[in-house]
Amino acid sequence: MSATGERTAPLEADVDGSREPTGLLETVGAAPLELVRDLRGLRRTLVTTLRYTFRGRRDWRAIAEQMYAIGNRSVFFLSVTMGFIGMIMIFQSGVQTKKIVPDLTLLGANYIELLVRDFAASIGAMMLATRVGAGIAAEIGSMVVTEQTDALRMCAADPIEYLVVPRFVASVLMTTVLVIWACFIAMMAGMLTANTIFDVNYWTFLNFSLVDTGDVVVCFAKCLAYGAAIPIVSAHRGLHTFGGSEGVGWATTNAVVHSSLAVIVLNFFISSAGWLIFGS
Amino acid sequence: MTATAESLWTALPARMGAALVSIADQTGGIGVLAGRIVRRLFPPRIDRYELVRNLHKMGVRSVGIVAITAAFTGAIMVIQAAPLVTRFNAKEVVGWGAGFATLREVGPLLIALMFSGRVGANNTAELGTMVVTEQIDALRALAIDPISYLVLPRVLSMIGMLFVLTIVGNCVAIGGSMLAAKALLDVDPRSFYNSLVTLLDEWDFITGLIKSVGFGAMIAVTSCHFGLSVRGGAPGVGRAVNAAVVAAASGIFILDYFSTYLLG
Repeated sequence: MSATGERTAPLEADVDGSREPTGLLETVGAAPLELVRDLRGLRRTLVTTLRYTFRGRRDWRAIAEQMYAIGNRSVFFLSVTMGFIGMIMIFQSGVQTKKIVPDLTLLGANYIELLVRDFAASIGAMMLATRVGAGIAAEIGSMVVTEQTDALRMCAADPIEYLVVPRFVASVLMTTVLVIWACFIAMMAGMLTANTIFDVNYWTFLNFSLVDTGDVVVCFAKCLAYGAAIPIVSAHRGLHTFGGSEGVGWATTNAVVHSSLAVIVLNFFISSAGWLIFGS
Repeated sequence: MTATAESLWTALPARMGAALVSIADQTGGIGVLAGRIVRRLFPPRIDRYELVRNLHKMGVRSVGIVAITAAFTGAIMVIQAAPLVTRFNAKEVVGWGAGFATLREVGPLLIALMFSGRVGANNTAELGTMVVTEQIDALRALAIDPISYLVLPRVLSMIGMLFVLTIVGNCVAIGGSMLAAKALLDVDPRSFYNSLVTLLDEWDFITGLIKSVGFGAMIAVTSCHFGLSVRGGAPGVGRAVNAAVVAAASGIFILDYFSTYLLG
């Protein structure tokens, strides 16, 4: 009963603005204290989820449903945003490269390397944090507010096992698939832009020579980390919803912000590790 | 039998059509709301207390999250540029590269996305809760126009605050990339600064700020529209917040493309 026991503790600090800090010390200390409390709660959610994922029984039907909700329903949104970011990046870098060197043959190779190593996974995951994170928090938050999770507990079922685990498994799988799709879309959009604006041949652009093992490993490490972080952070926010429709709104907002932040911070650490390990 | 076979054939086009109609519906609603907001600006009658309250809530309370995002983003830019820089042995232009990418594109874009997640989503939730608890109807019953009383101050403070936060965020991001360049590539902060100042001009900075105004308007109008059209209690508020952040993110990217193209 990890979730029930702590539901009273973070109440005052969680609602933004419900209780203004008074003293100087309290103002300074409130943020770090809340961060530590949040991180501990997150770790607990992660550990419980992992335990149920590996030890508990897997509900394949629920996982398939979540895979549809997380994966298939994000394809359109992800394609639109990644297509536009691909066009923007090629346009900007093409204009800048032309100022220094007139030759744009290596534009595609460098772009594809950057896409595989970072942008496909990170921008794609930011978009998924927005869509999937908000969705998970809104759904679980509504269940908490309408006391459906309490009903689950009454039936001796842990909400984490029933609600979080399918979303976790589905998100880890679908994030990887969607990042590959995002990479493809951004590559196509970049290729078309390079051809129409800078007259770069399609086959010159599609140059994978700079993509090495390190880039691909970093990409998959990012997929795995983001795919795990987004549902955990959002579900944690959702499970700690309280106070009617306003609470659901707050939980959803926090889920978007915290999971986007998690993506950025994880990106920093994984990219640094990748640079230090592979050095390329 | 024929019915199921037919439904299989028609299911996909019907769904695609429904999705298109709903996108058109939301875009139209956002457009109508934007028109109404612009009309309320002549003559401007803004509730000053509500404006100041929103400026504080949306601006001051987002500084932390924007600063953290910007610092990490600046550092990530340098980490991503590092292989290129070492490959061409061009350490002296890393300041230019990171500065250009941050000021023109990534800074305004990521700050706007975080702002949309924090302030835009929160705004949708707040307005949505007011709709669900019939507070908007109460305002109308008191002959107070909800758009000029609630929406206009929010829109103005979102646009203004995103502009200011982008300036703050850009500075923090440059600081973050300076530190990362020193730590990873051993580039002296002074030479980083020199390449930044000599190779970039004010226009690079201003382009990002012009974009941030557009992003702010986009986030403001989308979040207010989705907040005001909430249906169906607490789950409805959650769905509206979800739809609002998704619409704002798509809008930001599409706007970014066209503004990049126009501003050069």
